[in-house]
Amino acid sequence: METKNITSKILPVSAILVYLFLWLPTIVLVVLSFSNNKFGIKWEGFTLRWYADIINNVGIRNALKMSLTVALVTVVLSTIIGTLTAYGLYKYKFHGKKFLRTSILLPITVPYVVTGGALLVFFTRVVNIPLGYPSIIIAHVTFSAPLATFVVLGRMGRIDWTLEEASADLGANVLTTWRKVTLPVLLPAIIASAALIFPWSFDDFTITYFVCGIGTTTLPIYVFSQLRYGATSVINTIGTIFVVLPVIGLLLMNLLQKKKVS
Amino acid sequence: MTNKNSAPCVELRGVVKKFSGLVAVDHVDLKVEQGKVFSLLGPSGCGKTTTLRLVAGLEMLDGGDILIDGEVINDVPAYNRDCSTVFQTLALFPHMTVEGNIAYGLERRKVDKAEIKVRIGEMVELMGLGGMEKRHPAQLSGGQRQRVALARSLVLRPKILLLDEPLASLDRKLRKEMQVELKRIQREVGITFLYVTHDQKVALSISDIIAVMANGKLEQIGSARDIYETPKTKLIADFMGASNIFPGKARDKAGKNVEIETESGLKIIALKGKDKDGNSKEITGVSVHPELIGISHKGTDVKVGNKFEGKIVEMIYQGDFIETKVVIGRTGEQITANLGSEFGQETQFSPGEEVVVYWNPASSNILLG
Repeated sequence: METKNITSKILPVSAILVYLFLWLPTIVLVVLSFSNNKFGIKWEGFTLRWYADIINNVGIRNALKMSLTVALVTVVLSTIIGTLTAYGLYKYKFHGKKFLRTSILLPITVPYVVTGGALLVFFTRVVNIPLGYPSIIIAHVTFSAPLATFVVLGRMGRIDWTLEEASADLGANVLTTWRKVTLPVLLPAIIASAALIFPWSFDDFTITYFVCGIGTTTLPIYVFSQLRYGATSVINTIGTIFVVLPVIGLLLMNLLQKKKVS
Repeated sequence: MTNKNSAPCVELRGVVKKFSGLVAVDHVDLKVEQGKVFSLLGPSGCGKTTTLRLVAGLEMLDGGDILIDGEVINDVPAYNRDCSTVFQTLALFPHMTVEGNIAYGLERRKVDKAEIKVRIGEMVELMGLGGMEKRHPAQLSGGQRQRVALARSLVLRPKILLLDEPLASLDRKLRKEMQVELKRIQREVGITFLYVTHDQKVALSISDIIAVMANGKLEQIGSARDIYETPKTKLIADFMGASNIFPGKARDKAGKNVEIETESGLKIIALKGKDKDGNSKEITGVSVHPELIGISHKGTDVKVGNKFEGKIVEMIYQGDFIETKVVIGRTGEQITANLGSEFGQETQFSPGEEVVVYWNPASSNILLG
């Protein structure tokens, strides 16, 4: 009984500590983004001027536009490649399938610095792909497509594949079966992988830093370069937006799901 | 057995299917008559489901021909065959409503919208699915899902409906109800059923004709009654629940009875000539269904062809009957009799008691090689 009492007291305390550890830096950042301090490192009264600043800042606008474009294109390309790859790996039997499966999933485990460096050398010395949008998107797809493959493969293991046979049996050819049955059944996994890939691509710094070239910047790289000039108040603001937007997104998704169920 | 005037609904001629060298279906010939319920019965792995999938076009033939309405359809892809399948897993499309599922096949056939609506309405009524049209499969009970799967296939008015153990996932009570339902629906729509099952009870109750399969081959084709009462081989007898199987040789064929002697020397009398080709093949034994065997106290004068003295070794209560095992004193064979509990027979006997077991020669079924 006594030990139970002690654990029942320790548990909530440690849970709160862990939560604070996780969230305190973020909370501080959000609070300081409203502070009237030039460096954004202490509280000097409420202001919205940093928000006004970033709205008027062309550099940030361009960086944001680029990040969003890259993330969107990456999501579309990687989910298509990932879904088709997973389907092939799951449904067809061929020699070297196991090897292929492992080697496709392997890039996830390679350190970003290695991937980034390798891609830079590849783009500039081997295939001559211009640094900028093309190189960044290709780089992002190389690490996102395996992720999509992985997520969709996981779903495929839990699907009743007689659904495809039933569709054929009811008179649908291969293409119609894909469009009407296979794809809709895989859709939750495809959306899940997109939901993973979008922030991953949007947030990526390391690989992008290697392959972005001169003059183009995504938002994470813009933030990093501003940090070197000491413009921390802007960083706080951007950081806040980065935190708040996904939270709103998650809440919206939850809400939509609840609506759908009821 | 088959009507010679019109082509059978489905015909298989020397059908062969191999999976990586192993023969799954071994030269199967059969004819399914129009409007009948034809069951393929057999233990798992006997090739019955493969046979069904061959008819559906979900597997490719390695030999032989499949005909629907007298036309060879070997090379017709599944989506163009005039048959429809109810799968064991039902395979209802989870992302579509009941309506969407039933409409799927009609939409593929480019039936116009108004017509689709009418036919869905008919099916919903036939299946008793009123009010469920807008639901998704996940929101239905097991029995309702079953009906949707049936409706999805029947709405196409196929030449033949292929059913692959569709009742296997239901509990006992629901399975019985659906059996009756299936029969009713089949009578109402008049579509030929090819029904695959490993459950002899289901097969007996819904089939017009049963074909028993084992190891990829057809062992026996006949009416439910034929198969149950006069299984030709030991394997079929065993599968049909004749728990008393005595391998033996014919000793005396004179007269209208045959006397068959088991290896241990038990002599069992059977009626001769029940089966027409009975004389062409060698007799290899006798089987008796346990419900056809009676038990009396020792010393009772029983005037029946087969009677043996023995001792009750076990009585197992099964609810509607008592499975009673008797060991024959002289030869050591074990005989199982199912005693009905209606006359309180269970109180008359007790394990260890000396008894007489008996049955009519007409109840002995001759097994052939």
